[in-house]
Amino acid sequence: MPPTKPLPQPDAESREFWEGVKARRLQLQRCRACRHLRFYPRAVCPHCLSGEHEWVTVSGRGTLYSFTVCHRGASEAFAADVPYIVALVDLEEGVRLLSNLVGCQPDQARVGMPVQVVFEDASPEITLYKFKPVGS
Amino acid sequence: MGNLRDRYCIVGVGETEYSRNSARTTRAMAVEAIRKAMDDAGLGPKDVDGMMSYQGNDSTPSLIVGPDLGIRLNFWMDVVGGGSSTEALIGLAMGAIEVGMCRTVAIFRSMNGYTEVRIGGTGARAAAPVRGQELAWRPYGMTSAGQNFAPTFMRHMYDYGTTSEQVAHVKVAHSKHASQNPKAFYKERVTVEDVLNSRWVVKPLHLLDCCVETDNATCLIVTSAERARDLRQRPMSIMGVAGRVSKPRTDFHFAHGPLSRVAGYYAKDIVFPMAGIGPEDVDLTGSYDAFTFTTMLQLEEYGFCKKGEGGAYVSSGVIELGGKRPNNTSGGHLCEAYTHGMNLVIENVRQLRGQADDYCLGWAEGKHSYDYAPGKCRQVKDPEIAMNLGWSTPATGSALILRR
Repeated sequence: MPPTKPLPQPDAESREFWEGVKARRLQLQRCRACRHLRFYPRAVCPHCLSGEHEWVTVSGRGTLYSFTVCHRGASEAFAADVPYIVALVDLEEGVRLLSNLVGCQPDQARVGMPVQVVFEDASPEITLYKFKPVGS
Repeated sequence: MGNLRDRYCIVGVGETEYSRNSARTTRAMAVEAIRKAMDDAGLGPKDVDGMMSYQGNDSTPSLIVGPDLGIRLNFWMDVVGGGSSTEALIGLAMGAIEVGMCRTVAIFRSMNGYTEVRIGGTGARAAAPVRGQELAWRPYGMTSAGQNFAPTFMRHMYDYGTTSEQVAHVKVAHSKHASQNPKAFYKERVTVEDVLNSRWVVKPLHLLDCCVETDNATCLIVTSAERARDLRQRPMSIMGVAGRVSKPRTDFHFAHGPLSRVAGYYAKDIVFPMAGIGPEDVDLTGSYDAFTFTTMLQLEEYGFCKKGEGGAYVSSGVIELGGKRPNNTSGGHLCEAYTHGMNLVIENVRQLRGQADDYCLGWAEGKHSYDYAPGKCRQVKDPEIAMNLGWSTPATGSALILRR
């Protein structure tokens, strides 16, 4: 059997996040007390320590903050993907995510370029959020 | 508790061969390295009563290694950790002695870093299920240290115009130093072009921007200044230490604040005031070179040059033997061996003693030619103060200042 990529195993804090991604919604936790948006999902607001939050769907629009082009995969499961781009994306809402930049030649990736979320089904249960250049 | 500056010393250092085929257990290697450090210091089994190590489930703990050496331990502790643990454990050893738990501590790191557990490796570790915070990056093919750190360098290039050519000079300098070091795994000098022409691993890192992976054990012995007076070697005084100082968020550091800032930004405010000196007083540095650019980033944050000018600094000749403030004179992690920071401190101890084990015939007596041509001397002329800048990740680092 070919090696399989590591996929998220949603836990108590992240289940709703991954269910949203499966439904093509990128949603983040917003603290009910101080309104701070946070990523990745966790139980307590790191700004005010409140345990109360709500889920808000964000635009999925952002800019490429930094990236690396992986010419060597994280494991054999990623070998067929090289070179692939690991991207840090600053969402318009002010939150930074880590993802892949897809639909972009590695030598075309530029810090500061506008990007937009896309969704890729990785298994019957799990969908991954990725980003592509705006207009591609 | 008052300032402990100069109250503790490093009195012994030792290491095994640096290889890619130890064919030995981490237990056997640890015993050899500690025994060599004890011999170096002139200490017997009854003189050492504390032991500490760090590991990533890839070593043998103190309670096994200590008795192998005939040592009855009054204190031992093995912690999980890699780079930046060296300096942190030196500080903890000082504390253990200060409160009276023990008198002399041997700190070791033993690892078959090539033949058993490769830090840069992408095997079993990368295939494990993704839980907790890891689900924010592992599904996207980010696992190794290179993948983890590369966006920091990429952003530095964007913020400050830093180039691959500039940081390639770190490898050039360290390879020059390694060519004077009989212990070094890679002894050949390389050029900037060699670095730039080597294949991409994780852009912007070329193969030669990445450190070596090796099998080895290393040891440092810490004791009080009082006890150090009677020992075999001139003791090297610990002026200041900072351990595992971290950025505001260590769990997902990419997402918070400027990515091109690293932990030294915070550690410098602990270690320099403790030592009562500034960067201008330091004669040589050991800035952790997991990659070429990690050396540069730390030299910037600790104030050896201005933030953003690290590329110009490391390519100016300052960090080479013969320059104003050489860095990693053994060849460091890029060329000598990968030890998670230990060999960088060992080297600074030997440099301060005037005993860099180069190709000068009288090195053991401190007689050096100071001729830095290939295959000759690697001793810095008359250094008084040496500093180590330990790196774990962009988000965590440690520091140590020694004086002779």
